[in-house]
Amino acid sequence: MTPIRPADEALVEATVSAYRDLDPEGRVRAHPAWHDLDAEGRRAAFDATAAARRLEALVDSAGLSSTARAVLARVAAGGRR
Amino acid sequence: MTSRPDLDAHLAAIQAGDPTAFARWIAGAEPTLRETLRSFAAVVDTEAVLQEALLRVWQVAPRFVPDGEANGLFRLAVRIARNLAVSERRRHTREVREDEPIDPGVPLVTITPVDPLLRRRIEECRDALPSKPGDALRARLTADGTEPDEVLAERLSMRVNTFLQNITRARRLLSECLEAHGVDLALELV
Repeated sequence: MTPIRPADEALVEATVSAYRDLDPEGRVRAHPAWHDLDAEGRRAAFDATAAARRLEALVDSAGLSSTARAVLARVAAGGRR
Repeated sequence: MTSRPDLDAHLAAIQAGDPTAFARWIAGAEPTLRETLRSFAAVVDTEAVLQEALLRVWQVAPRFVPDGEANGLFRLAVRIARNLAVSERRRHTREVREDEPIDPGVPLVTITPVDPLLRRRIEECRDALPSKPGDALRARLTADGTEPDEVLAERLSMRVNTFLQNITRARRLLSECLEAHGVDLALELV
């Protein structure tokens, strides 16, 4: 687990969100806060996200994380088929 | 105790367009698929790559022909995710690395069954959070990744930075509460 430096806390927490915008071509785009992190901060964000998703899935009745639900919301909106 | 399921049990329903079957497949595939992107964490936003890869899996699944081995769709997902990550890295860094293995092998899908006691402890600790950190964390969870933090913060009459600080605080308090109940999250979430 990469530790989160105090100065990176807000950027890491923003990156942990499963919300991702789409680019003009309809592809899932990187979170703006991710670009503001250096390599160590990005590794910390990866670990924090993985931990958060497992926790979300643990307490979700269908075992789904917010990543899964974000993708399924796009599928339900008629995306990609 | 972990199990090694064949997620292709959901394949026929996914190919027929059943989003519930795809949800079950994602629930089994996501943790291992995310882990395959770890080596890219410093150079691409792996959350964005993962979501894009899952959408492409849904898109190409109707044309997927299984090879008879277990977890064929998962192995395809790993290839899609890695290829996307490599493309993204090249787009951002304009760097071509020759040391990157083309196919470092596909990990086994493993599923750890949910411990009902652990789930109850997490829910109890989450419910015991002070109001503002609790509200912020709940807003994130109920948004299911479909709304940006700016919208969630505004709904709670918080500035975005305050909202993020509250979530960080909520995670810290949750972890402390679980530790007080003898739960080591670092171990449980491996």
